Amino acid sequence: MHISDGVLPTYATVGGYVVSAALTAWSARKIRSDDLPKLAVVTAAFFVASLIHIPLGPTSAHLLIPGLTGALLGPPAFLSIGLGLLLQSFLFQFGGLTALGANTLMMGIPAVICGWIFQRFKGQKRMRQAIVGGLVGALGTAMAATFLALLLVTGGEDFLGVAKLALLAHIPVITIEGIVSAFTIGFLARVKPDLLRAAFMPTEKVRHG
Amino acid sequence: MADIIHIPLWQLPLLILMPLGCIGAGVIYLRRLTHGKQLPRGEDPDWSVPPLADGMGATLLHRWDVRAKILTLLVYSFAVASLRNLLPALFSIILSLAAMAIARVSAVRLLSRLLALSGFLGMLLVLLPFTVPAHSGDTIFLFGGIHWLGFNVRGLLLAVTIAEKAVAIALLMEPFLATASLPVMLNGLARLGLPEMVGQMVLLSYRYVHVFLQEARRMAAGMRVRGFRKRTDIHTLYAVAGFLGMLFVRSFERTERVFDAMHARGYAGRFPEQGEFRLRGRDILLASAWILAGGALIAYDRIIL
Repeated sequence: MHISDGVLPTYATVGGYVVSAALTAWSARKIRSDDLPKLAVVTAAFFVASLIHIPLGPTSAHLLIPGLTGALLGPPAFLSIGLGLLLQSFLFQFGGLTALGANTLMMGIPAVICGWIFQRFKGQKRMRQAIVGGLVGALGTAMAATFLALLLVTGGEDFLGVAKLALLAHIPVITIEGIVSAFTIGFLARVKPDLLRAAFMPTEKVRHG
Repeated sequence: MADIIHIPLWQLPLLILMPLGCIGAGVIYLRRLTHGKQLPRGEDPDWSVPPLADGMGATLLHRWDVRAKILTLLVYSFAVASLRNLLPALFSIILSLAAMAIARVSAVRLLSRLLALSGFLGMLLVLLPFTVPAHSGDTIFLFGGIHWLGFNVRGLLLAVTIAEKAVAIALLMEPFLATASLPVMLNGLARLGLPEMVGQMVLLSYRYVHVFLQEARRMAAGMRVRGFRKRTDIHTLYAVAGFLGMLFVRSFERTERVFDAMHARGYAGRFPEQGEFRLRGRDILLASAWILAGGALIAYDRIIL
């Protein structure tokens, strides 16, 4: 769930832009500048992944995957998420132009934290990687939901009730994200363990004829 | 103390649920209607003509210098987002409608932007009236004396004001952004101080979103052929995870090839600039007029009301 325009007070939207610009610059420095175009291509894949809807009883929820993005990309995940949200508000339907900075913080910070946790605790065994991946996936969404609630509360006490309910509504989504992340990391551990190794940075250069 | 108006419980469905149900049904109907229209299924979206620039007409907004346009959009959007009252926010929608009329933008894309907003705004419209704390001077409708189910009119007004601001800004996005092609707009942003690399990343991502959407669609078709149906169960999650994993594997492999191909064609960190930039008097005039309108809205919002 992203915050739309007009909800947050001006200090929160402007502050969101400033902080996320600083974090984006930090994130961009964590990656060789030659690799930036590659990150752009990977961002497109994460963007498409976040469009997938999963049925949830009578309704459906789309994946947020901050945890998974962080686990696979590491610190550059922040840049990637900012880019994805920029694309979303510019070119695809969802607006949220003034809330762009705040939305980037909401998804980007959990991603970076999750990435650090995943790299720190993933171990060597496939099973362990999948479990840590699942926990990180659930944690990423839980943190994003918490950020959402905190940001809503900057609007004043009027938004307290909405913030609480939004947090509650995310519980099923957190569960789903956790399970999907665990399976996805498990799949990658079987199929292409290289991707789980070190954040971004594809390891060795492969020549294509 | 807040004004409390008692209403029998049986009127709750009539007064609240029915209007909400009607709006919800309308939104779902419109969503169905626009769903098929955006991209013809199975057909590659034509990248060489970015959808951002369809109908390159020659209206006032098309001829406006991109740099002035982007700055105006940003400043004006922040002005609109900081409005606090119902009436100024309503005027901002009228101004957006005027911009739409001038730029003659595609109605389908506008509608889909509004529909994308409907979930969040609908949630606020439903929840805020029931959750805002009661202040003195508020009017509260109590249904059947259930004290936690008080419908606060102030909450409704707050939600409507937010919805108005969000709609006003969403309506502006199309006339302002769809009236220049994406590369030109990014060049404009670069001239405004955005690092050139960011613009290139946006361009690349945008291009590959379409490629991966296509790929995702093909993979989904394959899964359907093999009998996969989405349900609320663990098998669906397992299949979706495999789908995601495959998408990531393919995308990482693809980045290498894309980058090699770019190098082979002489990519050295930048794309050639498209179009020329000329800031004329009338560009500045239009930008100032628009920003002044934003300033006037704020003045009306804060000083007069």
